[in-house]
Amino acid sequence: MIPVEHYIALSAVLFTIGGIGFLVRRNMILLLVSIEVMLNAVNLALVAFNRARPETHTGQMLSFFLIAAEAAELAIGLAIVLAVYRIKKTVRVDDANLLRH
Amino acid sequence: MLALESLFPNDNFGLLGLIIALPLLGAIVNGIWGRRLGKQAVTTMALTVMGLAFATALVTVLHLREVAHAAGHGERVRLAWTAWEWFHTTGGRSGANIPVDLRFSVDQLSGIMMLVITGIGFLIHLYSTAYMAEDASYARFFAYLNLFVTAMLVLVLGDNLVVLFIGWEGVGLCSYLLIGFWFGKVENAAAGRKAFIANRIGDFGLIIGMFLIAQYTGALDWDGIARNAQQLLAPSAGARVHLWPVGGGVYQGIWSFLQPVHPLTISGATAVSLALFLGCTGKSAQLPLYVWLPDAMAGPTPVSALIHAATMVTAGVYLICRLNFVFILSPFTMTVIAVVGALTALFAATIALVQNDVKKVLAYSTVSQLGFMFLGVGVGAFAAGFFHVFTHAFFKACLFLGAGSVIHAMHANVHDDVASQDMRNMGGLRKFMPITFATFAVSTLAIIGTPFTSGFFSKDEILFKAFTSHAVHPFKEKFAQRGLGVWQQPTWLGPALYVVGVIAATMTAFYMCRALFLTFFGEFKGWTVGDAPAHASHGHDDAHHDEHAHAGPAPAPRESPWQMTLPLVVLAVGALFGGWLNAAPFHFEPLGEWLEPIFEHSVKAGVEAVGGEEHAHHLMWPLAAGGVAAFAIGSAIAYWMYIAQNGAPAKKLAESNKGLHQLLLDKWRVDEFYNATVIGVTEATAETCAAVDQGIVDGLFAKATSSSVAAAGFVLRALHTGIFHAYGAAMVLGLGGIGWFFIAPHADVSVNEKSGAWTVQAAPGMGYAYRWDADGDGKFDSERFSELRALTVTVEPGKSKQVRLEVKNAFGLTGSTTITVGTEAKKAATVVGLR
Repeated sequence: MIPVEHYIALSAVLFTIGGIGFLVRRNMILLLVSIEVMLNAVNLALVAFNRARPETHTGQMLSFFLIAAEAAELAIGLAIVLAVYRIKKTVRVDDANLLRH
Repeated sequence: MLALESLFPNDNFGLLGLIIALPLLGAIVNGIWGRRLGKQAVTTMALTVMGLAFATALVTVLHLREVAHAAGHGERVRLAWTAWEWFHTTGGRSGANIPVDLRFSVDQLSGIMMLVITGIGFLIHLYSTAYMAEDASYARFFAYLNLFVTAMLVLVLGDNLVVLFIGWEGVGLCSYLLIGFWFGKVENAAAGRKAFIANRIGDFGLIIGMFLIAQYTGALDWDGIARNAQQLLAPSAGARVHLWPVGGGVYQGIWSFLQPVHPLTISGATAVSLALFLGCTGKSAQLPLYVWLPDAMAGPTPVSALIHAATMVTAGVYLICRLNFVFILSPFTMTVIAVVGALTALFAATIALVQNDVKKVLAYSTVSQLGFMFLGVGVGAFAAGFFHVFTHAFFKACLFLGAGSVIHAMHANVHDDVASQDMRNMGGLRKFMPITFATFAVSTLAIIGTPFTSGFFSKDEILFKAFTSHAVHPFKEKFAQRGLGVWQQPTWLGPALYVVGVIAATMTAFYMCRALFLTFFGEFKGWTVGDAPAHASHGHDDAHHDEHAHAGPAPAPRESPWQMTLPLVVLAVGALFGGWLNAAPFHFEPLGEWLEPIFEHSVKAGVEAVGGEEHAHHLMWPLAAGGVAAFAIGSAIAYWMYIAQNGAPAKKLAESNKGLHQLLLDKWRVDEFYNATVIGVTEATAETCAAVDQGIVDGLFAKATSSSVAAAGFVLRALHTGIFHAYGAAMVLGLGGIGWFFIAPHADVSVNEKSGAWTVQAAPGMGYAYRWDADGDGKFDSERFSELRALTVTVEPGKSKQVRLEVKNAFGLTGSTTITVGTEAKKAATVVGLR
């Protein structure tokens, strides 16, 4: 059986990749993808913890809950991206600075 | 009637709610949906609710009559209905529980008022459907008018002072709304404001009176006040109202010269009744607050008839009649009321002598007639005063409606609001408007006291009572036994009041005949409006006149439609025969007997006839001669001046007394006097306050606040770059910081000393465990971490010790710190560390 630490390490690596992607990319679609990577890292950690402590199913329940939240978040995020695209004809986040002005 | 009795028992008479709810329904429907419903539906709605309300009121009064018959002669009966129990308050000198319920009741007095309000209200609604037919705000007008009737019914049917006050304010509001109905013109809006403010001054008195009544009698409903009214006369010093020194204090030191030898006190009854009377002077347009009523004529004429002649302005008289058992306790106030009433009657009559605007004449006439009513109630003739309310409602409503009919017709060829109301532009209308003329003439005969019309009976009874009766202290014998003096009305006052009343009545006869003759007799002058050199605003009218000249001869004034003439006829019949309800000289007084239960007790206790009843009775016919003489002389002079000599003597008189004539035309310049004094001071104060507000509050405080916020914003704005990644990076850094806070162990440590024992206490944390080094040997006391969060060490005075603490959290990370206890200052150290 693979020890739980391995899962956690993989989760941490995934989370970091997502976080760095979120900070360095300029494309809104890719930002959403980065967020997805981070959230899935969390999901992985949750499932791993659930496997380590199987007597309650808290981890699995939380991960299902998280998947649902992810879907909603992504729908809204894509809607925002579309709306920004309609107005600005671009999906670069640097151009979405109307509120600043 | 039997069904009525079983449906509505006397103490739960729900029909009262219906009477009030019907006009309210009309007001709501017409007010909210009126514009969409169209004029036809608004008319139907307004007339239906008023007609039904009148029918219900009639049924109620008929039922009341039967109940009164059943109760036996001279019994006050009433039908009451509690809508809901509103609130209660505790207080007063007795500390009693004072319930304030939304409760309505009708007795003999409010029954008559209710009939007048709904009956004349219905007629005036009917009249308005024609008078206002062309108005763009037709629905709004009827909504206001219905709302007014609702408020007026609340006023007269309210079973306690608070409910009365709701109605009192409600009618004031509706009056304001209707005076300023054509608010497009600045003067109309100003007139509305003036009425509102003058009434506020009076309402202040009413509120104070209400508080004092609650304080003294521990009740606010009519029965409760009547039961405990004698409390108002409690003679002990503590129960009296101290005017000077204010509140019964003592002036000391340098102020001691202000301390009087005998403190100036008045009885609670006098204080209460004076305060209430202030409210009455506001609402009923008495000196010195009458100034709003003449200006109130800016509203549509039916409003003047309903609100400012027949109903609302008599609310003050109604209040005094309602609370007669309070007013009767203070002969001083009664005398004040009588004197104010007589002076107002005379004062307003002098102004009415020379006014040219027909509505202004009627307005000052109303003020004058209200003065007569107060003169009546002031001498203890409550029934006579109230009877004048009743007859006045008929003839003055008829006069106003007749004037409205004339103005309506004048508008056909005079397209100016001022010129169309100017009597100098009228004349000869008798030929064109026979019904209006006949009714106006009948009402004029009534108001000037032509024998056997309604005005004759009511006015003569007031004059008779003014001469013969006056209020006396109801307990003067008891007070005299205890050596307490009571105020007494001087004996010359009765005859003086009578003379003033007769002079005012003579003037009434003159100015009313003058109005009648100028309007309806002679030649119609409306053809040449604008050419008259005397006319002030001729420029505007000239233009109109020219237009008409081009278009051919102006149309002749025409009789008004039946919706307007029918109410006139009904009211004129009432004005002619209404007096027989209380024909005192003929010993036929159904109204007096009907009202007897209301006033009987007070009149017995506190009203005396000069020289005894028998003596006074013999004076009835001789004194009536004064009233008849007033009528004869006044109308004869008017006839001679305006018919026989065609206005020449009036002009000559005005020429020879130019100053006096101008003074009367300017209404004694009272408005100017108020402007210079009260209003001037108020405005100066307001301007000072405005300057302080703008300069200091706005200029300093508000600006300082706003500029500090702006400065903070200027700094914080730099952080808002609008670059998405900057926000992202800040968020990541922040999350990292929070993460670090939870990962690193940190427990605040506090050190306390109590008589040589030093306690070191570490804060708890999730999953934290602690180990200590208490003896200072560099090694922990135990290798194991435990839950022990506190440690006590004993330190000798002057010495110190080192205590070491290590904390481990759930991640297995540890942090440690060293704390010195003893002579060193007590201090808190924090464990932060990662190893």
